[in-house]
Amino acid sequence: MARKLEISGLGKWFGELEALRAIDVAVEQGEFISVVGPSGCGKTTFLRMVAGLEPSTSGTILMDGQPLAGPGGNRGFVFQNDSLLPWRTVLSNALIGPEVAGQVAAKERQRTHDLLQLVGLGGFESYYPRQLSGGMRQRVNLARALAIDPDVLLMDEPFASLDAQTREIMQTELLRIWEQGRKTVLFVTHQIDEAVFLSDRVLVFARRPGRLQESVEITLPRPRSLTVKRAPEFVAIVDHIWKMIEDDVRSAVLDEHA
Amino acid sequence: MLERLRQNYLAGFLSVTGGLLFWELVSRLLVANPLFLAAPSQIVQAIYALTLTGEMGRHLSISAIEFAIGYVIASVIGIGVGFGMASSVRFKQAMQPWISGLYATPTIALAPLFILWLGIGIWSKVLVVIFLVLFPVTINTEAGLRTTSERLIEMLRSFGASRSQIFFKVSLPSALPFILAGLKLGIGRGLIGVVVAELFGSRAGLGRLISQSADAFNMPELFAGVIVLAVAGIAMTAGFGWLEKRLVPWTKD
Repeated sequence: MARKLEISGLGKWFGELEALRAIDVAVEQGEFISVVGPSGCGKTTFLRMVAGLEPSTSGTILMDGQPLAGPGGNRGFVFQNDSLLPWRTVLSNALIGPEVAGQVAAKERQRTHDLLQLVGLGGFESYYPRQLSGGMRQRVNLARALAIDPDVLLMDEPFASLDAQTREIMQTELLRIWEQGRKTVLFVTHQIDEAVFLSDRVLVFARRPGRLQESVEITLPRPRSLTVKRAPEFVAIVDHIWKMIEDDVRSAVLDEHA
Repeated sequence: MLERLRQNYLAGFLSVTGGLLFWELVSRLLVANPLFLAAPSQIVQAIYALTLTGEMGRHLSISAIEFAIGYVIASVIGIGVGFGMASSVRFKQAMQPWISGLYATPTIALAPLFILWLGIGIWSKVLVVIFLVLFPVTINTEAGLRTTSERLIEMLRSFGASRSQIFFKVSLPSALPFILAGLKLGIGRGLIGVVVAELFGSRAGLGRLISQSADAFNMPELFAGVIVLAVAGIAMTAGFGWLEKRLVPWTKD
C-alpha cells in the first residue's frame, strides 16, 4: 500500500501556548484512522492543519509525497457543526464543493444526487436545512465532503452533537459508506468506543503540550456491526485507551472547572 | 380558511371599526366643530373630492417622486458604503464617526437649509430623504456583512474558495436579511422626511396639502393628506414584508 499522508515533526504554537509538539504519523492509502484524547490535546488543531485551515508552526505534511499548502479539493472536511447554508436546499448545499471548483455539470449533479442517496437522503434533495433533523443535517455534511471526490476525508467530531442512538446509527452508516469507496479517513472524536469501532488505527493524544502518546492498531474483523461493541476484545481495547488518557482527562476536566 | 381569517383578524377589525365609530360620534356630537376635528365620513368625502379634481393625484405624485428618487439614491449609496466599511477596516474607521453622528442627529431640522440651497422644488426634499434613509441602510448592510458566520466562511474555505467566492456565496446572502431590514426602516423615515420637508416649503406634495389645509382650517382635507400618507406607509411596509418572504425565506419559519 502507498503512503497517503506523511506527517513529520508537526508542531503548533498559539502565541505562548504550545498546542502540538512533534507529531509523526504515516497514513496508508485507504486507512481509517481516529484521533482521540482529552479536550485541549490539539486533536482538532491537528486535523485543521491537515485540512490546510490552520498553518503549522513547524514540521511538514506530505500528501502523495507532495507538501500541502492551504485547503484543496483533494481533502474533504466534515465539520462538527454541520455548517450548512440555510438559504440553499440539500442538493445545492451538497454541490457547494464542485461549485467552488467551477465544475457543476450534469455529471457532478448526478454524482451528488447518488451520494445523497448513499447517505440516506434520497427524496430530500429540495428540502432546506431547517426542515431536517440533526442526524440528517450531518448526512448532508458528509455528502458535501464526498461530493468533491476527495482522496482523504477529514472528520471533526461529526457526531458529537447527536443523541446516543442517532450517533450509533450514523457510525454504522459511515462504515457502510466507507466500505464502498475505502477512502483514507482521519476521524477526530472524544468518544473512545466510537474511535475503536470505526478505525484501523487509533491515535491517542495527550495534552500539555498536545502530542501523540500511542498508536493503537485495531484488528477487529470487518465489516463490523454494532454487536462488536460488546465483544471482550473490543472492551479490552477501549479499556486500554481509557486507562492511558484517564489522568489527562481528569486534569482537563478540573482545568475547565477551575 | 374563513375560520382562520376570523381568528387572526377579527379582533383587529373590531377594534378599528369601533375606533372609527367612536371618532365619528365624538366629532359629530361632542366636538361638533369642523374647525377642530373632522369625522371619518368627512375625510372620506374629502379624499373623494380631492381625487376627482385631480388635486390628490398631483400632490401624491410629487411626494412619490421625491420619495422614490431619494430612496433609490440612498439605498444605492448606503449599500455601497456598507460594503466598503465591511471590507476595509480603514474605511470603516474613517466613516464610523460620520455615520454615528449623522444617524443620531435629527437631520430633518436641516430641511430649511436644504430648501435655501436647492430651492423650493423637489430636490431639497430628495436630499432630506437621502439623509434619513442613508444611515439605517448603511449601518445594517455593514452589520449584516460583519456578522456573517465564521463557521460558514471556514466551510467554504475548506473547499479552497477564493475571497470573491466567499463573498458571493456566503457573506452576501447572509447579509441580505439585514440589508432588507435596513431598507424597511428607511421607508418610514423617508416618508417622514418628504412630508416634513414639504411642510417647510414647497409648491406641491402631501406635506403641502396638509399645511395649506391647516392654514385654511380645512380639517377634512388635512386629515385626507395624513390618511393617504399612512396608507402609503402601510402598503409599502407590507409590500416589503412580502418581498422579504420571497427573498429570504430561511429567516422565518
